[in-house]
Amino acid sequence: MKLGQYVHGDSVIHALDPRTKIICCTLAVVSVMISVNVYYLLVLLSLMLAVVMVSRLNLGFILKCIYRIKALLLVTLLCQGLLTHGQPVIIIGGLALTKEGLAIGAINILRLVVLFVGSLILLMTTTPIKLSTGIEALMSPLRRLNIPVQNLTTILGISFRFLPTVFEEATIVKNAQRSRGAQFDSPRIMVKIKSYAAIVIPLFNASLTRAADLGEAMDSRCYNPHPNLLRLGSLKMQGRDFTALTIAAVLFLVAVATTIYPM
Amino acid sequence: MLGARIELVNVTKQYETPLGDGVAALRNVSLTIRKGEYIGVLGMNGSGKSTLARLLNGLIKPTEGKVYVNGLSTDKPANLTEIRRSVGMLFQNPDNQLVCPVVEEEIAFGLENLGLPLPEIRRRIEWALYVCGLEDKRYHAPHLLSGGQKQMVALASVLAMLPEYLVLDEPTSMLDPISRRNLIAQLQVANKEEGVTVIFISHNPEDLIQADRLIVLEQGSVYMDGTPRDVFLSEEIRNLELGRPAVYQLIGELEASGLTVPSNVKSIDELVGYICLRL
Repeated sequence: MKLGQYVHGDSVIHALDPRTKIICCTLAVVSVMISVNVYYLLVLLSLMLAVVMVSRLNLGFILKCIYRIKALLLVTLLCQGLLTHGQPVIIIGGLALTKEGLAIGAINILRLVVLFVGSLILLMTTTPIKLSTGIEALMSPLRRLNIPVQNLTTILGISFRFLPTVFEEATIVKNAQRSRGAQFDSPRIMVKIKSYAAIVIPLFNASLTRAADLGEAMDSRCYNPHPNLLRLGSLKMQGRDFTALTIAAVLFLVAVATTIYPM
Repeated sequence: MLGARIELVNVTKQYETPLGDGVAALRNVSLTIRKGEYIGVLGMNGSGKSTLARLLNGLIKPTEGKVYVNGLSTDKPANLTEIRRSVGMLFQNPDNQLVCPVVEEEIAFGLENLGLPLPEIRRRIEWALYVCGLEDKRYHAPHLLSGGQKQMVALASVLAMLPEYLVLDEPTSMLDPISRRNLIAQLQVANKEEGVTVIFISHNPEDLIQADRLIVLEQGSVYMDGTPRDVFLSEEIRNLELGRPAVYQLIGELEASGLTVPSNVKSIDELVGYICLRL
């Protein structure tokens, strides 16, 4: 299973309106950004994990995903530790990891994990088409400024659809080039770059052909970027959406409160 | 020019090369495709098959001549939505014609574009999934299906639009033998039961033995037009080196040695049945 790929399910989280999920995620991002209160962040993380359980996603898989971004988390910790002035804890070759830095680093790790789990929940419980319909609905006021929202979201939807196909194709091209002597594992950086160029060019070429074919297939099925057509995933807010939005709003206000009245 | 049929009148299609000279993919082709027919179009690479397919629903316009679908000319942009609703297209590569990330939404794509009401969209999705045997794949991602299943999804999404004509441009060339058989069986059902006119384009003669009428293209012109039996048993077809389906090779040999095979024998099974009856 790929990182952040939609997993079909019939939980209440799956059934939420995509707009609700996008707004909740955005509020969570802002809350995490503005609050430095470690207890608040811990509460937020436990809530996220509770949502994972409610949406019946595989908790083990989520943890594995977090493990996969370990390098990013480690770099965050080290950078904060090294770059913050304060009481040195460990000194490595003239560079000091400070106590204060490590504390801020730990909070930043917590923030990243909360953001990461939040976006995983959004992506894994929302089909890409619902996601793009949601984005389209939220961006629809921009239509008044003559921005072609429908076209933009169609492009977005198609990109979601074709990412796995392009990845697959990249693997095929890579194997084909490897069988003809391209050295992707060479320790020499220039050799490596040249080998990768041998993937990018055929891949680009294939994508253009694909785009032309897809255009014909869409034209054949009467594609028409008219914004007022009924879509299968037409959106309707329900009681549970308002509950979710209320919870998100309260959490956001708490985050604001923790910034105004720090402990 | 009215009436329920597709009509090509003296159609020539030229493509401009980067050097500025034109290459004619089709030369002065006139054809009438009547409703309800099951037509095979056979030809080598570069014989103009794909150009013909794209002319039929207005994806490209003829350089000279006219194409009429149910009396509507494809060179008027105002006619295109109606023409494309009547003429469904299935392409060679299933990966490149699936637009949506979920099977159900893929089938809904064309229906939404037609502006149908939601209950009707849902009803047609159910029907198309049932007809193409995809009921258990409704919520699957098309890219995770096999090549044959992907092509079935593409077929379901075209059939859901209830086209009068279905143009298939080499739809079997990327399929395994079982998927190929399934697809062809599905087309026969659509033709016989739903009355959909099928125009099946292929370079593989075996794909086309079930057709009622076979058109052979050669260098942009109609080389032969007749029943598969007349075409495959003729001398002219041998000049093209397209090969003959096994059943017609056998019928040819049998008839050369004095046995007459009735014209309703179209497959190996039917031929075996007939020979057993004679013995």
